Amino acid sequence: MNFNDARDLMWIAGGLYGSAFLLGFLKTFRLSWSPLNEAPLAGIIIGFLLHTRALYLRGLEIHGCPLGNTLERIQFILWSLILTFLILRLLWRLDLLGSFCAGLSFGAGWLTLILPNTDPMYWLAPDYQKLFSNPWVELHASIAIFSYGVFSLLAIVSGMYLIQRKALLSRKFDKLGSFLPPINDLEVACWRLLSVGVIFLTISILVGGMHWTRHPEFVSSIKLAVTILLWLGYSVVFFLHLTSRIYGSKFAKITIILFLLAIGSLALVNSKNREDTKQEIIPEKSSDLSL
Amino acid sequence: MNQEINQSLFLLGSSHQVADLAARERISLPPDSIDEFYNGLGKIEGLDEYLLLNTCNRTEIYGAAQKSFSFDSLGKYLSNFRKLDPDFLSQHSYQRNDHEVVDHLFKVTSGIDSQMVGETEILGQVKKAYEDACKRKAAGKMLNRLFQKGFQAAKWARTNTGISRGQVNLGNVLCELARRIFGKVSNCRLLVVGAGEVAESTIEAFKSRGSQAITVTGRTFEWCPLCRNKPAELAEKFGGFELSFEQFKESMHLFDVILTSTASGKALVNYGDIKKSMKKRPSQPLFLIDASVPRNIEEKVSQIENVFLYNMDDVSTIANENLKSRISEVDRCKGALARRALKLWEQMTQTREIS
Repeated sequence: MNFNDARDLMWIAGGLYGSAFLLGFLKTFRLSWSPLNEAPLAGIIIGFLLHTRALYLRGLEIHGCPLGNTLERIQFILWSLILTFLILRLLWRLDLLGSFCAGLSFGAGWLTLILPNTDPMYWLAPDYQKLFSNPWVELHASIAIFSYGVFSLLAIVSGMYLIQRKALLSRKFDKLGSFLPPINDLEVACWRLLSVGVIFLTISILVGGMHWTRHPEFVSSIKLAVTILLWLGYSVVFFLHLTSRIYGSKFAKITIILFLLAIGSLALVNSKNREDTKQEIIPEKSSDLSL
Repeated sequence: MNQEINQSLFLLGSSHQVADLAARERISLPPDSIDEFYNGLGKIEGLDEYLLLNTCNRTEIYGAAQKSFSFDSLGKYLSNFRKLDPDFLSQHSYQRNDHEVVDHLFKVTSGIDSQMVGETEILGQVKKAYEDACKRKAAGKMLNRLFQKGFQAAKWARTNTGISRGQVNLGNVLCELARRIFGKVSNCRLLVVGAGEVAESTIEAFKSRGSQAITVTGRTFEWCPLCRNKPAELAEKFGGFELSFEQFKESMHLFDVILTSTASGKALVNYGDIKKSMKKRPSQPLFLIDASVPRNIEEKVSQIENVFLYNMDDVSTIANENLKSRISEVDRCKGALARRALKLWEQMTQTREIS
């Protein structure tokens, strides 16, 4: 195990998230063993620190924000998810939310590490240029990916809302439902997360838009359409909730569907690939692989 | 003198054990028909003593009768009185004799036979039913002894076993549900429609958790100023507010939790009322509790988004879930009560023989 290798660190971080997920649920279901009390949060924090170091090391290798392939983008989203959770954790004691976040980070993180072709070493190519030639594009990409992290947390909280709602409507005190936060708090949390996510995504699009107006050749029409549609989707839900036209279970379900669409469209929001752009433009400007 | 009196104990009843909520609604006696029902009971052949226990979860007729009495005549009377098919009544009722009656009453008074096992409200209801029967001179020597011993058995069970530990109290269960919906119970605005024991127990539980916005309304508000538990008195007792019954539907959107506990016998709140209220508070949940039998809130309202409707059966199920962990305690209590019941029955039969 090499602590200076980004992938090794991602494996360890994923393992720690997995342990936190497992211990969190054991704790939830009242397996009373006092060392368990803070173990899930400790696992998440240590995992997050290692995760941060992994992304930092990868960033050093590629000379920029590590968003160049599927693994990097997914790992960055998961890192944003855990960061958002830790910020929220300072405000509310939401241990079960931590378990859900850790579970998703473990599952998705290890999946991208296991699956082949998710992590091509594009930076080792002989003609590799810096991933982001323009710092504004790097900012655009990192903010966009961070907003995806917020939206993934929104999807998790929406899932928790639906579980709590089902428990309340089934009129049973099941174990999981009784450990989830109150349904009203979950809806408020969903709304706040949506607001934060929409703000970040809007800033990202504004920053990216400024670059696009100068160099439209870097942005494919598919990327443009998907990005605008996603932004529109979240913005419309934002305004519909603001005007009390969508709320409750419909609101939760829509945010989950939008998140799945966002993740599904990740591959489509890549900028024109290097070979394509190399043929079209001068080499120095050919390295934008942002959202 | 060793003269045997040909008197035995009997019980005809229906409760949540054999009848669902809809069936109980049909069998339960409306409060305004109790006098008429007692009058009719007195005319049944062979029936010396009788007592009616009519709560939201059980309708039971206890009695002492001579050999000439038959269950059929009582069953026929009840089915005629409630306009029920005799087959329907027999399917949703039970009969007990002599020692079984003692055993059953002990379980009822101690709360073991209640929907929410171990709850304490039933003891008050049995006491009230007993006082009512005494006032009507319907209860005699046998029932007096039976019920006095029943109250003692309840006290013993609560003191010596753990059946009343934990949240089996209706009010506490409702507070727990409110917490799962709104978070802090102290921030919940509670409206109570009705002023019975259920209402009082709920207000007490909310009040003890810091709830300040408690409002009471009820049908008896204007025309029954001397009613013991009238809404105004209840509001005053807990430092709450009164609301005119005519206005409560227009104000429902202002409340987070609405409890109905009336004996109106009909739906006071329908789908349209709640739909209208929710338009004024669409994204805020509304917790409705229908503690009445027959129900006061249309079941259909639970289909409205953000509305969580619970009735007595639901709350009892939750309370009993809480009790699963102390089933062994209930079994221990049942065994001890059965022994006490047998002992009492032996004493009663001995006394009968001696007298």
